[in-house]
Amino acid sequence: MIEALTSIRRTPYQSLSGFLVLFLTLFLSTGIFIILTFLYGLLGYVETRPQVTVYFKTDTSESDIFKVREQLISSGKVLSIKYVNKQEAFKVYQQFTKDNPLLQQMVSADILPASLEIYAKQPEFLPQIAEFLGKQPGVDEVQFQKDIVSRLLTLTSILRKTSLVLFGFLILMSILVLITITLFKIALKKDEIELLRLLGASNFYIQKPFLLEGFLFGLFSSLTSFLILIGGLFYFYPFLTSYLRGIPALSLNLPHYSLQVWPLNIIFLSVTLVFSLFFGVGIAFISVLISTGRYFK
Amino acid sequence: MIVFDHVIKKYPLGNIALDDVSFKINDNEFVFLVGPSGAGKTTIIKLLLREITPTKGTITLGDFNIADKKFTRIENLRRQIGIVFQDFKILNDKNIFENVSLSLRVTGMPSATIRTEVKESLQLVGLSGKEKVFPAQLSAGELQRVAIARAIVGNRDILIADEPTGNLDPKTSWEIMKIFKKIEGKKTIIIATHNSDIVNSLKKRVIVLKDGKIIKDLKKGGYDL
Repeated sequence: MIEALTSIRRTPYQSLSGFLVLFLTLFLSTGIFIILTFLYGLLGYVETRPQVTVYFKTDTSESDIFKVREQLISSGKVLSIKYVNKQEAFKVYQQFTKDNPLLQQMVSADILPASLEIYAKQPEFLPQIAEFLGKQPGVDEVQFQKDIVSRLLTLTSILRKTSLVLFGFLILMSILVLITITLFKIALKKDEIELLRLLGASNFYIQKPFLLEGFLFGLFSSLTSFLILIGGLFYFYPFLTSYLRGIPALSLNLPHYSLQVWPLNIIFLSVTLVFSLFFGVGIAFISVLISTGRYFK
Repeated sequence: MIVFDHVIKKYPLGNIALDDVSFKINDNEFVFLVGPSGAGKTTIIKLLLREITPTKGTITLGDFNIADKKFTRIENLRRQIGIVFQDFKILNDKNIFENVSLSLRVTGMPSATIRTEVKESLQLVGLSGKEKVFPAQLSAGELQRVAIARAIVGNRDILIADEPTGNLDPKTSWEIMKIFKKIEGKKTIIIATHNSDIVNSLKKRVIVLKDGKIIKDLKKGGYDL
């Protein structure tokens, strides 16, 4: 460890440039990671809301409504359908207007429409379902979150693709810069390395100080970028709270685990820190291994 | 025991550095390798350190057949050999203790043992109390003593010196040779040198090389080309 610290102290400009390039990579990568988790969480939240609600005219019979329901189920595009009859709609209305007796007195179950709350298997099916419903007899109004979902989908897709390109570029840039810096440091210690080899040092013994130095770069750049990003998140916390008002929680649904993204919590912050550390230390290690591998070859 | 058996070393450009060289060096023997520049002294040292491999022939060092192209235990081999160079190869950014302890650190020896071993080694070469001094503060003779301390520290069985007195004045050269004399009988010592005074005075085994061949191998020889 002392050797690694000494090497950093003796080559301050090279070490600083290594740290800065890794910091920039991790700052952008972790930032994009946080934004993507929020977007996926938001998408997941929107997908759990009734995605299409179709209101029928008050004179439409239940059998006609059920026919529409059966057709939707047989289309294979629907995950589930909830039928809300006039009585249930009235109960919802009463609950909604419980603070206003006047509004409650003005409305009876007869004038409220029955509806179907439809959850699509995939957000892409929403426009097709809405179009189908619009053509059915007895349908009064079709509401669906087309704009929100499609915008979120587009945004997530663009961001994911852009992130992949950006990640690739940043990783390549960081690895190349770190390889150059490590090769420079190896050149500075060439005599020492040659001597160590003649004294019987193993390749790992020679690599160790460089790996430790890489580990320190990775560790400190990860921690710095994480702290700045988390500081930013907490700075914008009031804005986010106001913007996401009404949304109790955002979660990123993974195959076997659901990671709660919002409200901010210790698990999400820990996962972000681990991601950043893993990424930072990983890039540094790979760079050192490539450059020392080249030298030993 | 070190055995060279019909060793030939040709370099890629075709020049023959060693031409059918055979000799044996017993454990704890003191041997001078002498000969003009280009005779093959340094090639023998490089072969012993497994920096290069022979074109033909076998070289055994203890249990190791180091001429084998598939030989992988290079680290273990080198940990048995202490080496002293003409240009000392002392690291200027490390103090004397750190320089000498390098030999032991590479073997993974515990720090407490390293301290004891380095102290003993520095005492043997007459540099006790200079552990914290940096190379820039030492004379050439003292630097070579540090190099010898680094080569003999620990349990290295073989000590190889490549022109150890090449950069030193006669008086200092003799002081260095006195250190080798102190170690004599405890380790195998191979010294490649041009210093005829020392070779003639010490009356040790002398292997004389010329154009890659052994032309003489004398039990108690002198510098006679």
